[in-house]
Amino acid sequence: MRAGLFDKRFALVFGSNAETASMPKVHDRILLGLFSLGLVVIFSGGFLNCAPNRLATGVAYPLSQAPALETAAAMIGLCGLAFLSLAQGQKLRSFATILVAALILWGSLAGAGRLAAILMQAGPPATRASLGPAFWTLASVAILALVDAVQRGNFSFPARACIGAAFCASFLLMAATGAFDSLSLAREFLNNRGVFVNELLHHLGLVCAAIFFALMIGVPLTVLVLRKKAAGGFVFASLGILQTIPSIALFGVLIAPMSRLSELLPLLRSLGINGTGPAPAVLALTLYSLLPLVRSFYTGFSEVAMEVKDAAAAIGFGWRRLFIVVELPLALPALVSGLRVVTIQAIGLASVAALIGAGGLGTFIFQGIGQYALDLVLVGAIPVILLALLANFIFEMLLGLARRNL
Amino acid sequence: MPTRRLFLAGVAASTLARASAEARPVIVGSKLDLEGGLLGHMMLLALAEGKIATESRLGIGPTSILRAALLSGAIDLCPEYTGNAAFFFHEDGDPVWKDAAAGYARAAKLDYARNRLVWLTPAPADNSWVIAVPESLARIQNLRTMVDFARFVRDGNKVKLAASAEFVESAAGLPAFETLYGFRLAARQLLVLSGGETSATMKAAADGISGVNAAMAYATDGALKALDLHALEDTLRAEPVYAPAPVVREAALASYPKIGDILSPVFARLDLASLRDLNERVAVEGEDSGTVAKEFFRARGLIR
Repeated sequence: MRAGLFDKRFALVFGSNAETASMPKVHDRILLGLFSLGLVVIFSGGFLNCAPNRLATGVAYPLSQAPALETAAAMIGLCGLAFLSLAQGQKLRSFATILVAALILWGSLAGAGRLAAILMQAGPPATRASLGPAFWTLASVAILALVDAVQRGNFSFPARACIGAAFCASFLLMAATGAFDSLSLAREFLNNRGVFVNELLHHLGLVCAAIFFALMIGVPLTVLVLRKKAAGGFVFASLGILQTIPSIALFGVLIAPMSRLSELLPLLRSLGINGTGPAPAVLALTLYSLLPLVRSFYTGFSEVAMEVKDAAAAIGFGWRRLFIVVELPLALPALVSGLRVVTIQAIGLASVAALIGAGGLGTFIFQGIGQYALDLVLVGAIPVILLALLANFIFEMLLGLARRNL
Repeated sequence: MPTRRLFLAGVAASTLARASAEARPVIVGSKLDLEGGLLGHMMLLALAEGKIATESRLGIGPTSILRAALLSGAIDLCPEYTGNAAFFFHEDGDPVWKDAAAGYARAAKLDYARNRLVWLTPAPADNSWVIAVPESLARIQNLRTMVDFARFVRDGNKVKLAASAEFVESAAGLPAFETLYGFRLAARQLLVLSGGETSATMKAAADGISGVNAAMAYATDGALKALDLHALEDTLRAEPVYAPAPVVREAALASYPKIGDILSPVFARLDLASLRDLNERVAVEGEDSGTVAKEFFRARGLIR
């Protein structure tokens, strides 16, 4: 009798019916895929790489060498993903997936931190413990599962924000208690702590300045293209050519003319504008921003239906009112999308600016490449990725607002 | 009215510019590489100890960018190598650069005459290009100097050298070694990388990546010891001398004439062994270059 009841309940939860009673039905292929990926990499890739110093080639340690509690948490979480892929009920599954993702993340982060501390104590003082492929895969699996669950779970915006804040706060709490201090990545970061904030602000400054100038140039260009269709072909062709120049080349090409310009104009020189440093970097980033900006602005305004504009004009709207009440709100989603593309592109491209003396997070990336120190590269690269994700998130919110007002 | 306002704004701007020129701190720059960071931090420390206001622009970029920044006045002071002056003035075939004192004198003379840049006292070190081989190979085959290496290559042993494109092609690089020591590496014996950084070439030789067993390196590279590589001594002197020296704009030196006296005791203490040790602490042990510079100053009694 009992077995029968369990079977019934099992069938209810896992959606098995008469035909597939022997094999539970998979309801979420993504979770199953993430589980398989995690499983393969755990057994084939190293979790932590330990080298006697910063340059030497190290020995890979698998996840099983990490302290038992953390290893168990990560493994149980991973198996939880497979289990949940069979579960029915979207809301419940999303909720459970978030908890399971937290378990995997905690297990892999704390496991890496503690294993690194153990290896550091056993080895010489210059010992370096770097995160290996198994760690990165586990962390990515957890984050992807988390993002997928949040999106499918249809959570309200405050709920999403709370989930995000909870994960960030837990990570920062772990970092503050020194859980990661033995990892090579943390040591590279701590070595550069003094200049990190400075370079981060430099990076943001370059991006903001580029977007400001791109708007200053792009908006009049959009007006020109909208008013005079004949100019459109020329404008888009020239901006298109600019876009195809490789970034390092454009940064480099600007040095000579900018130096000459600052030699000719003492005012520019006294403002600190010359061939190297932030000025050519901002110019290059501005030039790269123009095409996506003008194209999306042009599309946004030209797709406002003629009938709508005619109707507004017919009921006596002046051009100013027509623009503010009709055209701008209708074009706004396209404008926000354009700005989103431009911002994310500029955040990535600004890394190259370090090569021409403009500073920014690229400084760490290029220093790391030069010194063959991958963890130093990550000190620059991870914040760039996070900035891009943050910008994406903010613009997604703005886009939602722009669409709601329609 | 607008013209008057503009005029006033112009006056305000020019007074501001003049005021800032007088009180302007010395802007110290350096290359993006490891030794650049170390030398840059040392200059900042020494100037601060001498009560001169500084502004840090360390890690500006590769040699060409740092040079452009110095010429344009974006920075006032930076470390540079005497051997690089040969390239700045397109004299890289001239034997004068192979002599430390004469090369320094030529660099100082040319740069002052053409660009009003002053070369201060150089370090008694030479960070020139070297060829390094794994210590095990050096021991078995008895490779200590470039003469030994040339014999090793001529005898038809398996040699594959990892080097930058610049080293392979520049007349002062590999061709200079080949001519003077009488050996020749075929294209298939070379692994050419585009960048000038030596970490990748040394790593390739240390780990035997793609069959590489020799690497281009710099004489003061800190990683040589950690990667168990032996730098072959350039006994017949094929390469120009790359002695690091502070280079300063004449205008900055005029505002702060003490700069020379402050920096010369620092650079005088930077011999090959100390530079290698300092570089090693940053490259291999992963210490922060600012901290390493400060500890070096304390150990040598340059600061309290």
